[in-house]
Amino acid sequence: MGSVKVSQLTKEFSGVHALKNVNLDIQEGEFFALLGPSGCGKTTTMRCIAGFEQPTSGTIQIGEAKVNHIPPNKRNCGMVFQSYALFPHMNVFENVAYSLNIKQLNSSNIAAKLPIYLRLLNRKLGKYPKPIEQKVMEILEYVELDKHATRLTSELSGGQQQRVALARALVMEPAVLLMDEPLSNLDQKLRHSMRNTIRRIQQDLGITTIFVTHDQEEAMSMADRVAVMDSGEVKQIGTPIELYSRPSTPFIANFVGTSNVLKGTVVGQENGYSVVKGHGFLIKSTNHVEQKEVNVIVRPENIKAFKPGTISSDELTNIIEGTVLVSTYLGSIVRYDIKVEEYQLVVDTTFVPGESILTEGEKVQLTIDPERVLLI
Amino acid sequence: MKNRLSSFNGLTLVKVLIYLFFGVFLLLPLVSVFLVSFTGQPINLLGSITDPNILNSTIEKFSSASFDNYEKIFTNKTYFSAVQNSLELAILVSLIVIVMCIPIAYGIARTTMPFKKTIAALCTIPLIVPTFISAYAIIIMFGRAGWVTYIYNSLGGEGMLLNPYSMAGIVLVQVFFFFPYALWPMVAAFKVSDISLEEASLNLGARNWFTFIFVTFPLAIPGVISSALLIFTVSFSDFGTPIILAPKDLNLLVVEAYREIAGFFNWGGAAILTVIMVLVAAFFFWLQHLFTKGKNYGSVSGKPKQQKLNDSKGLTRTLSVYSLVLVIIPVLAMISILLQSLATTWGKNPLPNGYTLSHYQTIFSSSMGNIQNSIVLALGALILSVIIATFVSYFVVRQNSSKLDFMTSIPLVVPGIAFGIALIQTFNTAPLHLTGTALLLIVAYTIRRLPYMVRSTMGTMRAIKQDIEEAAVNLGATPLTAAITIIGPLMLPGIAAGSILVFITVIKETSISILLAPADWAPMSLAIFQNILRGEYYTAAAMSVVLVIIVLILQAIANRISKNQL
Repeated sequence: MGSVKVSQLTKEFSGVHALKNVNLDIQEGEFFALLGPSGCGKTTTMRCIAGFEQPTSGTIQIGEAKVNHIPPNKRNCGMVFQSYALFPHMNVFENVAYSLNIKQLNSSNIAAKLPIYLRLLNRKLGKYPKPIEQKVMEILEYVELDKHATRLTSELSGGQQQRVALARALVMEPAVLLMDEPLSNLDQKLRHSMRNTIRRIQQDLGITTIFVTHDQEEAMSMADRVAVMDSGEVKQIGTPIELYSRPSTPFIANFVGTSNVLKGTVVGQENGYSVVKGHGFLIKSTNHVEQKEVNVIVRPENIKAFKPGTISSDELTNIIEGTVLVSTYLGSIVRYDIKVEEYQLVVDTTFVPGESILTEGEKVQLTIDPERVLLI
Repeated sequence: MKNRLSSFNGLTLVKVLIYLFFGVFLLLPLVSVFLVSFTGQPINLLGSITDPNILNSTIEKFSSASFDNYEKIFTNKTYFSAVQNSLELAILVSLIVIVMCIPIAYGIARTTMPFKKTIAALCTIPLIVPTFISAYAIIIMFGRAGWVTYIYNSLGGEGMLLNPYSMAGIVLVQVFFFFPYALWPMVAAFKVSDISLEEASLNLGARNWFTFIFVTFPLAIPGVISSALLIFTVSFSDFGTPIILAPKDLNLLVVEAYREIAGFFNWGGAAILTVIMVLVAAFFFWLQHLFTKGKNYGSVSGKPKQQKLNDSKGLTRTLSVYSLVLVIIPVLAMISILLQSLATTWGKNPLPNGYTLSHYQTIFSSSMGNIQNSIVLALGALILSVIIATFVSYFVVRQNSSKLDFMTSIPLVVPGIAFGIALIQTFNTAPLHLTGTALLLIVAYTIRRLPYMVRSTMGTMRAIKQDIEEAAVNLGATPLTAAITIIGPLMLPGIAAGSILVFITVIKETSISILLAPADWAPMSLAIFQNILRGEYYTAAAMSVVLVIIVLILQAIANRISKNQL
């Protein structure tokens, strides 16, 4: 088991910067997600850690040791590939036993190597030693695949293949578990249950895990900490709650959940509030920043919508007038697109059965709690 | 620098060895023959490195280098007419093949022609037969005592319908035994045009024939031209037909080059002819490449195309009869060989005078050695090419080693006879005195057939995703172990199919065998060739039948394997 430290990692592909000065400090036993849109460098970062890419500059440490010059086969990073990359000519048992065979191969003399090669080439050509068999069956039991040990991987369902890939990576007792978009090939329902399975196994084994995904919901629900990446750079690192409540840039505010982003200028302080003026609105925030030009970030669920004249007296700060453009019923919530001057705000309100939904073209008054207005 | 050193592992060593192999056995001979075309005397490049005396004499030879040989192409009548005749032959054959194949290709691709499957199956027959056997079959049919001549004469014709020992005879063999090389690409070309295009044309008021001429056919033209260029190269490089059929007064490059080296040991003359052959073949190969690359109107898109098949009764029946008549000729040729092998004697009659198995007895008692040699040599070439091709495709696909890709496709453009001459010239003295050994023969076969093998293994290699290999490495395997335990087994079907094809082509190989095979390693092809020269036609026929049967069986196995592929 080990921590992973990535310092000033830079990677160029024929002149193009795929990674720019990436720094990560992942604790032992932590479940760490790399989140970002495709092409942001998250997979490249992972491949650098696994050793499949050589960094242009920067260092990678696993545990105490710098691993830059250790070839990928000696890094002991278990990896679960996006496509699972199961060996199609081997059955489930053989897939999982592969790394154990290799380990034995590396520690035996030339004469002893031959039978290992033979059983690697064809299961009929050699018997597996008891310890290997036991270990493989143990881990297969753990992922509930012991009954499928002799199946070919092509005969398994997507979820089962995923678990074989996981078992294959875990059986080598890796220092770090790397997972590259492991859930992207599964259907919605399976994805949910696999999330829980993976999280449970990770907690059980206490294994340091790095998880690459473009799905913010996946990252937020599974990871202890998340690094958001964009165009080769790490934009912010934090716990899911920190990322959601205090995004450091408008990009993150929008990538992690939905946000309304308005541009404005801080015009003064008033009773402990910062007052921000934008095109056609004046808004107060409990947030204080040094710069004048700011982005005002408000989550859709933090805006309340009222029919004109129905606002209660304790909601008198930050009243904004607008018109409903579109209303979308989403089950537990109703989402409104509301036009305010030249802006369009997204507002989520809890749907209360029996209450009427605002219709298109209707005038509304919006209120925002100053404590929920973030300035960045 | 550190990176360089750490990546110098087992695989890098293999790569270096492969480069060395190609360097010594392909590039060195070609370079040598090129130099000899200037000096007129054999050049020993390897010797020049190891022995200062040889180096001195090499330098001396270079000082007398001249363009004399190049002038000879124009001044020496024999050379000039050889170039002329060879070009003429190749152009003639490719034109006839294209014109002949257009209806068949259209029939297979775009109509509901009856007997389509039979016709398609019969079209593969010419490909299994070595050309010198086909040439010999044509003699049995059209020769002075041939059965075609008999029929022709009894219908009132005089002399022979067609003299096999002439340009016409050579054209006849090449047309009927090379046309499948053009047919299949042309069938594909006729499928380029999409039904929606043709319906658009009909919708705009054009008639069917008008649509064919102005829509379907123009779309097929790039494919057709590329087929013509392919046939040109195949015909130009063919040695088997001319060596059997070319009369003394008909000079062809391949035959002339063979005579210079085997008859007169004229190194300079052979070298210049070799250089011309390679240049012409390379030029046309390049031209063909250019054509397939540039103007393939999206025929490779993954979108499945719907095609309307022409089912007009009159047209499909005419096409079917036409195709059957043409396709049946190679079959008749093979039947003639079979009959000859079973005949006690066969004079100027439609059928042999009597039947016997004694010729087979003869070859199985006296020529077993040739069969054995063929198999051992082919096995040797097979093993060597499997190993090299597997690694080459690994380097090309996984490491983008385009240099290696280029190097392994060089043999495609070098006619067999040219390559043979280059090898003889390079390896007939120390330090690598290999001429006359089975080893050089195996190496020559291997290099000549490697491009096909590499193509087959490269296809399978491309189908294996990179991450499967990375998974193995991630699980602790070195790249070499991953190659052996994961890539190797996954490539097995491709390797098996490819290696059988190598085996088949090596057994069929004529030019290299005739030039390089020492007496005690004579393979079947050489034995048949010598039998024909000696006039032992019946045993030649029997041996040919055995050869064709071996090829047929292997071909069937290869088809099986490639069908079962993942």
